[in-house]
Amino acid sequence: MEGPLKFTNHRIEEYALQATYNPEENTGTIIYNLSLIRPDDLDLAVAILKDAQKTGLLISDRVRIAEAGETIADYTVQPDTCAICTMCSITLDALLLRRGVPLNPIGGGVVEIEAHEPRRFTSMILYRDTTLDPLEVLISQETTSIQSVMENGTGTILANMRECHMEAEGLMASTLDELVASGFAGILDVGAPNVPLLGVPVSPQYLGVTMVGGTNAMAAIKEAGHWVVTRALKGLIDIREIGYLDDY
Amino acid sequence: MSMSIRSERKYLEILRILKEAHEPMGAKRLSELMAERGFILSDRAVQYYLRYLDEMGFTVKVGNRGRILTEEGTAETESALVDERIGFIISKLERLAFRSTFDPVTCTGNLAYNLTLVPEADLDGVTGAFDEVIRAECGFFDSYRVVGDDPRVPDGHAGIITICSVTLDGVLQKMGIPTRLEYAGRLAVKEGSAAEFVDLIGYRGTSIDPLQLFISAGLTEVNRLVTTNCGIALANIREVPLSAEDLVKETIRLMIDSGFAFPEGIGIGKFNLHPHPYRLPVVAFSGMNLIANAIEKGYQIRTEIGAGNIPFSKMSGSM
Repeated sequence: MEGPLKFTNHRIEEYALQATYNPEENTGTIIYNLSLIRPDDLDLAVAILKDAQKTGLLISDRVRIAEAGETIADYTVQPDTCAICTMCSITLDALLLRRGVPLNPIGGGVVEIEAHEPRRFTSMILYRDTTLDPLEVLISQETTSIQSVMENGTGTILANMRECHMEAEGLMASTLDELVASGFAGILDVGAPNVPLLGVPVSPQYLGVTMVGGTNAMAAIKEAGHWVVTRALKGLIDIREIGYLDDY
Repeated sequence: MSMSIRSERKYLEILRILKEAHEPMGAKRLSELMAERGFILSDRAVQYYLRYLDEMGFTVKVGNRGRILTEEGTAETESALVDERIGFIISKLERLAFRSTFDPVTCTGNLAYNLTLVPEADLDGVTGAFDEVIRAECGFFDSYRVVGDDPRVPDGHAGIITICSVTLDGVLQKMGIPTRLEYAGRLAVKEGSAAEFVDLIGYRGTSIDPLQLFISAGLTEVNRLVTTNCGIALANIREVPLSAEDLVKETIRLMIDSGFAFPEGIGIGKFNLHPHPYRLPVVAFSGMNLIANAIEKGYQIRTEIGAGNIPFSKMSGSM
């Protein structure tokens, strides 16, 4: 039926081989998340996406909303639902891997935010130990308080972490700069070599990078009591098929 | 006042001791229990930590009987030192397995259990859901026990003891078989075809119990399984040396005779796991399948996994 199971770290590497995104030229394929909501909740969802963007909880302003009957990549939106396609934060890992950065995607978890500053990871699931995307399952744990972070800067959000060899720090920094210049946000914290980042240790001679999860806005919609189904790490899509949040 | 990582480790341990105690505890007893866990602290030093924990709102004094944990304190045990907690999930289960002394030949000794808290009004409904899973032979053990007079059970609630599948790890270890609990998984079971895993989470790679995670994420289909013989149950996987295969098979057959249930008959099969040349995966249904069925049916219940150990004689035929 399914064949041998694939752990998330391997899935990330496979995507990295296929994701051709070039931020400067705005071309190529990115990794995306797909969320389904009820059409009645669409206005609310757009408002939450915009709030999330203001708070720095949206990793990219590239968003596509599709109504029933439309298709996104190979998925046809079902009746009585509305699909929201956002960039997956694993796109960063793919980009770094493609450029030859020695990189270990570590895992996804929940980060405590206090007065707009990340304080510590309070939950963590390591990619090498799970076949499910950690942030996809953590959404359902009711441990996030993203609305509260958007309102007063304190609460808990979804985030993920990777580590890169300190030798490649320069290459990583220039890649991050390039991404930020093309509308990519959501770098939560960059650690120093050999120093744990937000409570998560790194390998010898490595430094950690944490980023907000691509599904925070969807988790906020769920927190508000609305129906949301999110599939993180859904697949690859051409960046030109995705519009901008400001269009909605 | 801030705490370095070193002392944070100590205060987390104090909070854990208080969490397990369920009654007020003084500095002297705390310093004894801390020493048992490798943290040598004078009574005075414990007092100093307790004052800090009071300030943070994690503990509160109960007259002169000692301190108890507040709600914030309980939450802190589930938030602090994430890296350390990734290892804590498995070490708690290993302790429980070690204390499971069940002997399948004589049917004596202790089993490991989970404790579920159920609002009294829902007790019949919840036990009904448990019975369905037992009848479909996809719970780990064929009975459970309702307890009323237990300090862990709040007013207006009943407690239900269900058997935890780490009992198996304890049984294998007592026979001298090196056993390593590796994964919790979602197992797709279909009448007439081989059971296959759909997802796995490694016990050494998560700070949240993976079985609770699967259940609360709505990823089980136990009710469909018990009603149509086709669905998704929870199971866990331990690995033993391949050369222990005959011994393990014999042990599991004895356990089946005493009321335990395993997927694919005896929990040893191909499933769809990566084969390892020297290791044998042994798969057991999780005791949490009983709880998953009740939650799928809409009951609001809470379960502590690995709550303690209970003699087999108190569980067998207790229904």
